[in-house]
Amino acid sequence: MYRVQDEVSLLRASLEGETEAWGEIISRYKDAVFGLCIGFLRNRADAEDITHDAFIRAYVNLRRYNVDKRFSTWIFTIAANLCRNRLRYRKNHPVGEMPIHLSGGTDPARALEQEERCDRVRAALGRLPYAYRAPLVLRFYNDLAYREISEILAIPEGTVKTRIHRGKAMLKEVMENREERDQA
Amino acid sequence: MKRTDVDEILRDALREEVSGAQPYLDELEERIVVELGERRPRLRAIDWIRQLAAPTRSARFGQLVVVGATAAAFLIVGLFASQFFEQQSGLPTGGGIRLETAQEARSGLQDVLFVVPAPLAASTVVVVGDFNDWEATPLTDEDGDGIWTTTIPLSPGRYEYGYLIDGRWWGEDPRADEYIQSFGEYSSVRYVGRGGEGV
Amino acid sequence: MTRLEIRVALWAFLSVVLIGGIACAMVPFGAIEEALCCIHLEQAERILAAIQLGYGQEGFPSDDVLRLVERLVENPSSSGEKESILLILAMALENGLPVDGLLSKVFEGLARGVPLSQIGIGLQQRLILLTQVRDLFLDKRIFVVPSGSAQSIPSALPIPRFNELLTNIADVVGDHLEGGGSARDGHALYEEVEKRLTALQGVTLLQADVELVLDRIEPADLTRVALAAVS
Repeated sequence: MYRVQDEVSLLRASLEGETEAWGEIISRYKDAVFGLCIGFLRNRADAEDITHDAFIRAYVNLRRYNVDKRFSTWIFTIAANLCRNRLRYRKNHPVGEMPIHLSGGTDPARALEQEERCDRVRAALGRLPYAYRAPLVLRFYNDLAYREISEILAIPEGTVKTRIHRGKAMLKEVMENREERDQA
Repeated sequence: MKRTDVDEILRDALREEVSGAQPYLDELEERIVVELGERRPRLRAIDWIRQLAAPTRSARFGQLVVVGATAAAFLIVGLFASQFFEQQSGLPTGGGIRLETAQEARSGLQDVLFVVPAPLAASTVVVVGDFNDWEATPLTDEDGDGIWTTTIPLSPGRYEYGYLIDGRWWGEDPRADEYIQSFGEYSSVRYVGRGGEGV
Repeated sequence: MTRLEIRVALWAFLSVVLIGGIACAMVPFGAIEEALCCIHLEQAERILAAIQLGYGQEGFPSDDVLRLVERLVENPSSSGEKESILLILAMALENGLPVDGLLSKVFEGLARGVPLSQIGIGLQQRLILLTQVRDLFLDKRIFVVPSGSAQSIPSALPIPRFNELLTNIADVVGDHLEGGGSARDGHALYEEVEKRLTALQGVTLLQADVELVLDRIEPADLTRVALAAVS
C-alpha cells in the first residue's frame, strides 16, 4: 500500500516500473474510464475490453505522458481513441449487440416512471451517432469542461458546444417519440 | 419531456450502468498489475547494485563495508554488463515493448506509427486521413527534438492521409506505401493488412 | 397488467430496440433538415428529397451527411458554392450511387483548407466516374441483388460489395486523372485498378469479387470511363 497518495508521485513510481503504483492510479480512474467506454460503445463486453486495454496501453506509453498536463485528459484520450477504433471495426464486422443488463434487482422504492425514463434515455443514447454521443457522455457523465472535451476528441470547442446542444435535442426527440409510442 | 432534464437522466443512467459493472471493476487493477508483472523482465544489474549501495543505518564502518562491496560487485558485474543489458528490454522507460492487447488479438487492429520530423519551431502537428474522418489527430513531440509521433490502431484496409504542420499540408510521408495526387498536391497512402503491417 | 408484467414487456421491447438501435445509429432526418436551414439554398427541396431517398438506401452514412452540413455552415464560402457541393451529393443519391467516397473527398478538402469551388470541381468529376463505372458494371453483367436475397449467380452482388468495388474503381480512375495521367492510357488504368483491388483482396474486398471484375473489365473500358469524366 502506498503512503504517497499524490498523483504525480504515483505516476513517477509507475514510470520506474512499480506496477503497484499503477494499480493505485487505475483504482482512481477506472470508474470514469469505464463510464466513458460504456457511454461511447453501448456494449458491456466491448467497454470492459477497452477499459482494460486503455490502462495497459497508458502504462506502456507512460514515458510519452507529459506530467505537466492533466492525467485525466490523457487517459480519457487514449480510451476515446480506442473506442473510436472499436466502433469503426464493428461497422465492418457487425456482431450481435448485447443489451446492457443491470446487476441485481431494481430498487422497489424507485418510481417506475423514473426507471422508464432511464431506460428510454439509454435506448436513445444508443441511437445517436458517435460524434454526438461522445461529447454528451464526456460532459454529463465525466463532468468535463468544454475545453477538456475539445482536447480529448480533437475537435474545436465551438463544435463541442454545438454537438452537445444538438445531441441533447436529438435525445429528447427520440425519447419523446418512444414515449408517444408507449402510450399509444 | 418531464421536468427532470435530459442530462440528469443521462447521468443517472450511465452511473447505474457503471455500478452494474462493479464486480468486473472491483478486480480490474489486480488483473492489470498481474498482467504487467508477467511481462516484466528480470531486474537489471543496475538495480542490484543500487540495492547494495543503499546506505545502512549502522556505524560508519558498516557503510564503508557496503561501499567497498558495491565497488567490488561493480567491477565483477561490469565485465558482463554489456552482454547483460543487451538481453534486457526496457520497462515503460524503453519503447521496445510491443504488447498485443486483448483487443488487437481479437480484432486484428494494428498499431500504425505516424512520424513527422517537423521544423523545430512548429507548434502543432496533426494527421488527417480516412481513419479519423479527416478530423485532426494530434502528434506530440515530448522531448522537443523535432520528431513528432503518434500511434493509431487501424483495422485492415487502405488509408489516405497527410499531415498539417501548423496548418500547412504535407502529404509526402516517407513511411507511406504509395502516393497519389489530390487537390493538386501529394497525399500519402498506407495499406494495413491482416497479420502484420503492410500488405 | 401488473407492474411486473409491464416491466418484463418493457425490457423485452427495449432489448429488441437496443439491439436494432445500436446496430444502426442513424441521425434523425429532422436533424439534417434543421442544420440545412442555416444555409441559403435555391434548391432546398431537391436536396432534402434526395437525402430522404438516401435514408432508404442500405449503408447510408447519415451521420457523415450531417457532419458535412455542419462543416459547410461553418465554412466562410458563399452559399452558392456550398449548394454546388450539396447538389452533387443530391445527384448521387438520386441515382442510387454510394456517397461515402464523395463525402470523404469533401472532408479531405475541408481539412486541407482547399477552396470549396475547387472541391466542387473534383467532386463533379468523381460523380461522373461513379456513374460511368456503374454503367460499365451493368454492361458487363455485374449486378446488384437486394439485401436479404440469396446470391443466385456469382456476378450478382449484395449492395455493400457492389458499392465497395464501384467506389474503389472510380477512385482509382479519379486519382489517375488528378495525378496528370492520360485518360487514353487504358493499360495504365487497368494496371492501377488491378493493383488497388489486389491489395484490398482479402482485406476489404472478397477474392471472388476482385477476380470477377478483373476478368470482365478491359483497358479499353477504363479509357471510355476516364474520357467521359474529362470531356
